Amino acid sequence: MALIELHDVSKVFPNGVRALDGISLQVQQGEFLAVIGLSGSGKSTLLRCINRLTEPTTGRVLFDGQDVTHLQGRELRHFRQRIGMIFQQFNVVERRTVLENVLVGALGRVSVWRSLVGSFPQELLEEALRNLEVVGLAEKAYDRVRMLSGGQKQRVAIARALMQRPQALLADEPVASLDPATSHSVMRYLEEVNQRFGVTVVCSLHFLSLVRRYAQRVVALRAGRIVFEGAPAEITDEWFRHIYGEEAQEVEIR
Amino acid sequence: MTRRHWQGIVVDFLLGTYAAVVLHRVVWQHMVVGSGSETISAVELAAYVGGGALTVAIGLGCRCTLGAWISAGGHVLRPWQQAGALHWGLSLLVLTVWAGWVVTKISPLELFSPQGLESAGRLFRALLIPEFSILDKALAAMVQTIYIALMATLAGLPPALLLGFLAARNVMRRHPLTFALYAVLRVLINFTRSVEPLIWAVIFSVWVGIGPFAGMLAMTVHTVAALAKLYSEQVESVDPGLIEAVESTGAHPIQVVWFGIVPQVVLPFLAFTIYRWDTNVRMATVIGLVGGGGIGTLLMQYQGLARWHEVGLIVLVIAAVVWVLDYASARLREVLA
Repeated sequence: MALIELHDVSKVFPNGVRALDGISLQVQQGEFLAVIGLSGSGKSTLLRCINRLTEPTTGRVLFDGQDVTHLQGRELRHFRQRIGMIFQQFNVVERRTVLENVLVGALGRVSVWRSLVGSFPQELLEEALRNLEVVGLAEKAYDRVRMLSGGQKQRVAIARALMQRPQALLADEPVASLDPATSHSVMRYLEEVNQRFGVTVVCSLHFLSLVRRYAQRVVALRAGRIVFEGAPAEITDEWFRHIYGEEAQEVEIR
Repeated sequence: MTRRHWQGIVVDFLLGTYAAVVLHRVVWQHMVVGSGSETISAVELAAYVGGGALTVAIGLGCRCTLGAWISAGGHVLRPWQQAGALHWGLSLLVLTVWAGWVVTKISPLELFSPQGLESAGRLFRALLIPEFSILDKALAAMVQTIYIALMATLAGLPPALLLGFLAARNVMRRHPLTFALYAVLRVLINFTRSVEPLIWAVIFSVWVGIGPFAGMLAMTVHTVAALAKLYSEQVESVDPGLIEAVESTGAHPIQVVWFGIVPQVVLPFLAFTIYRWDTNVRMATVIGLVGGGGIGTLLMQYQGLARWHEVGLIVLVIAAVVWVLDYASARLREVLA
């Protein structure tokens, strides 16, 4: 069953750039989908159109059978709670503790007033600690995020997303600012989230070796259009040149 | 006609009009005729505008004015045209300095006149021998000034904090209504800030009577506007990534501000606030000069009596306190930043 459906989605930014050009795509429940393509090919915009951080110019977005293209206010917030997101730059608060950062993922489940005074219910605290265990950071719960390495910060972001009890996780180049070893560690946690909790993952990536290792299916974008859709193993040298251009050479990340 | 062309024409017209006004009002009336009038006749006005029009015409004709230089943009003018623009600019500069000299009534003769130098010498000698018998009085007045500044800062803080977010574009741009509020607040803040605290003091002294309270209110108003501007600019420069991260969890807009923006601005806000208190102490001294109470008022009293030794002591106290505050607030901000 398709969890996420895009129907002919296009995005034209105010400066005239057409980032997405008629994208139609289905993401199956429980799938690990990789999105590849050159910088500027529309990967980020595609992911951000799914949870409406970016508004599609035309087309429809469906989540779990519901049309979410025009949700506003409370309905939009409830919809967003069902989709976690992690970012290339981690987007965590350096000056706060790991636990405080993870609790941000539960904001949708706490009243505004309680969250402002910082009195999160005990069961949420316990859930946050459990999610930190999932990403292997339980003993860092009370450290400031500033003290952590890049890979650890990204794991904090994963734990924060897990606090939403999400059905889907959008990962926007989650390992692009990490070294190869750390990249694999973060990707393995995404894989675990996908397999252990059955969370559907849509992840944009730069390295084909990571795609082959972790993704079940690949979508390749070029100039805002889907130019390839299939299994990672089907990306031949010919397809590679078609996606990345004639000049491109593949680099490995092990 | 491109935008640049229009900019060039406007610049040429304004500068040409300006040159005509200065040439007539300052050079002709002051230096040649020897007397000027306060009013402007229709003929004169026409002549001034004519000067502007003439410059525009020259600029369009031979492309040798500043306006032509702006219009040219990336294109290179011929050497003689560049030289023309350069000379036109230099003449304007000379004319301006000349006019400034005349208008300001600058007079080296008076600056170095024997009586003037002697009075100044007497004053400085007195200031350098402060009268320490009024030290307790001066300190008490100084403490009052510091408290006035503190109260103004504290009173201005809550509204400034609120406005800091309401006058930040990235917080308010989502909805047309909030954006309209943002635009209105922005104008209000800029207007309030552009009115000097001294003028606010005059307004409030009519309202609540002359004294420390009027001085405090004046500074409160200015503090709100000044801090709101600093705060809102800080809010506008936060990393949007964290805001998006909080938004993507489905958080309420108020939670987005509290968890996405506030952690990024707490320390800068604190630094701004301390700096503002420091500024307010200096400002309270000046407002005291016009009756706002505290050390400034004491200074005016002794100055009125021409008791320069006492004035010397007060100046000493002010300098010491301002120096200590400056140093302390700089160190504090260093630690926070």
